Amino acid sequence: MSEPIIANASALDRREFLKLTGGFLLAITLDAGVSRAFARESVTASITTYIRIGADESITVLVGGGEMGQGIYTGLAMATAEELMVSWTAVKVEPIGAISSWLSAGSGGIRSRLPTFLKAGAAAREMLIDAAAQTWNVDRSLCQASNGTIKNTSTNETLTYGQLASLAATFPVPTTPPLTPAANYRIIGTPAARVDLPPKTNGSAKYGIDTYLPGMVFAAVKHSPVMGGFLNATPPKPSSAIALVALLPISGAVANAVAVVATDTYKAKNLANGVSNNYWTAPANAALLDSNVFLAQAQQLMGRGAAYIAEQVGDAPNDITNAARTIDVTYTFPYLAHACMEVLACTVLLNATTCEVWAPTQGPNSALTTVSNVSGLPKSSITLHPTLMGGGLGRKIEQDFISQAVQIAKALPYGTPVKLTWTREQDMANDQYRPMAAIRVRAGLDNSNHVIAWNYRNVSPSISKQRGANLGATGDSQATEGSTALPYSFGSRKVEYVVHPSPIPVGYWRSVGYSLNAFAVESAIDELALAANIDPLLFRQQLLANSTDPLAARTLACLNSAAAIGGWGTSLPSGRARGIAVAQAFNTIVAEVAEISATATSIHVYKVACVVDCGKAVNPNSVEAQMQGGIFHGLSAALWGEIKWTAGKPGATNFSHYRVLRMSEAPVITVNIINSGAPMSGCGEPGVPPIAPAIANAYAKLTGTRVRSLPFFPGATMGGG
Amino acid sequence: MFTLTVNGQSFQVNVPGDTPLLWVLRDIIGLTGTKYGCGIEVCGACTVMINGQAEKTCEYDVSSAVGKTITTIEGLSPDGASHPLQQAWIAEQVPQCGYCQSGMIMAAAALLNQHPHPTDSDINEIQNVCICGTYQRIRAAIHRAANGG
Repeated sequence: MSEPIIANASALDRREFLKLTGGFLLAITLDAGVSRAFARESVTASITTYIRIGADESITVLVGGGEMGQGIYTGLAMATAEELMVSWTAVKVEPIGAISSWLSAGSGGIRSRLPTFLKAGAAAREMLIDAAAQTWNVDRSLCQASNGTIKNTSTNETLTYGQLASLAATFPVPTTPPLTPAANYRIIGTPAARVDLPPKTNGSAKYGIDTYLPGMVFAAVKHSPVMGGFLNATPPKPSSAIALVALLPISGAVANAVAVVATDTYKAKNLANGVSNNYWTAPANAALLDSNVFLAQAQQLMGRGAAYIAEQVGDAPNDITNAARTIDVTYTFPYLAHACMEVLACTVLLNATTCEVWAPTQGPNSALTTVSNVSGLPKSSITLHPTLMGGGLGRKIEQDFISQAVQIAKALPYGTPVKLTWTREQDMANDQYRPMAAIRVRAGLDNSNHVIAWNYRNVSPSISKQRGANLGATGDSQATEGSTALPYSFGSRKVEYVVHPSPIPVGYWRSVGYSLNAFAVESAIDELALAANIDPLLFRQQLLANSTDPLAARTLACLNSAAAIGGWGTSLPSGRARGIAVAQAFNTIVAEVAEISATATSIHVYKVACVVDCGKAVNPNSVEAQMQGGIFHGLSAALWGEIKWTAGKPGATNFSHYRVLRMSEAPVITVNIINSGAPMSGCGEPGVPPIAPAIANAYAKLTGTRVRSLPFFPGATMGGG
Repeated sequence: MFTLTVNGQSFQVNVPGDTPLLWVLRDIIGLTGTKYGCGIEVCGACTVMINGQAEKTCEYDVSSAVGKTITTIEGLSPDGASHPLQQAWIAEQVPQCGYCQSGMIMAAAALLNQHPHPTDSDINEIQNVCICGTYQRIRAAIHRAANGG
């Protein structure tokens, strides 16, 4: 995190100051924690956040970072309110745009920045104390902060933060302000109302797609109808269009898409859709871009592909030959689309020497680089406004739509604002998909039903390798995450990874490798329990009780709590069964118990008991929501999610063929949060991985049929309502 | 030229008659609370009330909306906060990303018009899609609003 980029910091700073009628502005960098307090000067440092205390007693925390529903504005501002010794309701939160060093990914938004926000609040508090001590000419140890005032404990006089703010700003910023012990927290750990919700209930929340500027024109895009195809000629501009622009991909010199610019979105979309497919040439290997071909390749590579060894203890392949009982099972996974509710959209206002961009982006710094590369302008001339995201899910880390919007702006006269909006069909057909995979698990039990050997082999495309990275000795850790460092006691273990060569673009889908690997691991554990004729909960308990892994005890606690809440072992109405699974992702442990019934064509999930250990929940309200959301997301994917490729074309380009859960299908999810005191870990993604295996395990219990190929119900559709 | 009545105000819009109401609301009238999600009447992000009924607007010809009473999320309450559903939505902390919520709230408002005290199965008639998976809190919020907060 060393990206000292604020495009127009001084302008931004002046703008913020204009709102002040005297007061205090503390600017914070990620690198140094707290950088400086400013009274009336311009800012050139890498500001990532501000605390503003006005003479009118207003306290505002300006928070950067991408809000896509995870509650980052609220969680981080809670920390600053905590150390400022003010009530949560006294703090206003404003999103701040021009912060480029944030990446909203890896479930790290709150946990990685909380220390900075705590320290910032503490520093501001100490400076207010300095100001009070000077005003009263007393030792600062006599000054006590609480509820927005400093009290002179010898005289009981008080001064408000607003009264002290201007003077406080003249004191040096303490580099190591004293921090409140976690045991004394008043705000962190309480269920705070999210600050971004009121605008989300009245239509005033502005997402990327909601950017409108005076004189704006509207663009829609059409990509090659076959994945990997390219333009063989630039189509003529439709007569009613403002412009038609051939678009280059993010890397590569051959255009793969066209944009049509028109006077409104609907017109642009129709004109773009109307561009003849004949302007594209399909890639030579188009016929091989086929899910059946990919699966056959995976099966070949499962047998004899060169493998990276991601983890090895002992000699598992040999030990299996001595086992009393074995399993040898292969799980397969489809490509998945992100299908964020908000399609990709980006607005650009380009002038000769400046560029302003409004984008729903998880990666503002990457966006800034993209805009600079495409526009040719230095980053210092670019202003980026990260907007609210209507879902991110990993898709809005990518830069394709941002690059395209700048390319379109370049083709228009300077000063013409243009908004690019992808259609749903373009969004789903030109995603960076969750990788397909085939995963084989061979494992052996001895006569006492101990797992004496575990051999795990994952064949799947590598996101990193596809993007040009050289893989290290252990392969691609994002492909194997969730299959290495398992907390279970296995006698020997070997985890192998083989890169699948499929050229379908792959990307970061909520929980990345964990969602694939948790399904294979937790399904296989259940299959072993079945082979051992031991209750799946008891089997896991034994594997954890015998384990020396540092996460084993916490994993066991989550499992036991989920089993208790989910009624494991208690009677059920006929036709129902429960399944259990537990997985770690991003250092957060989640156990889930699902209760289901099934017909030949559907599964109904009644309840899910979810237990999460994220070390410490900053905002339990948001943690619960993230667990619920992760479970819904993983459940839709497990039941129906699939992008099936035939001759380079995706089998789904809209929700009609990409079914997701609806209200009537939504289970009741109970979330128990364990504050174990372990280092804080993320919550945006870890709810996803355990649900698919929990469902498969319940389904096997209910029907005797083990589903090893996802989704459960391929080809599902979702008609209009 | 079509004359539309949206949130009690009259608007004259000059677009082809088959332009979907969604894009007229967003691009011409400037009411961006109504969202584009699928364009094929599946996801419900574009739901508004027309004559008190929930309607998806992404394939609803603007010409068919003439003479009808159109209410968007922006017109649900005069202050943007006081409708029982808006208050219940905050009390239950429903939205996550929030993108589908305008459509959800309008679908719920139409449901309450028909069923002031909806059962769970009445609520299940809402077909709108939420990728964040806020359904459980939506259900709780609708019950809360129906029960007077």
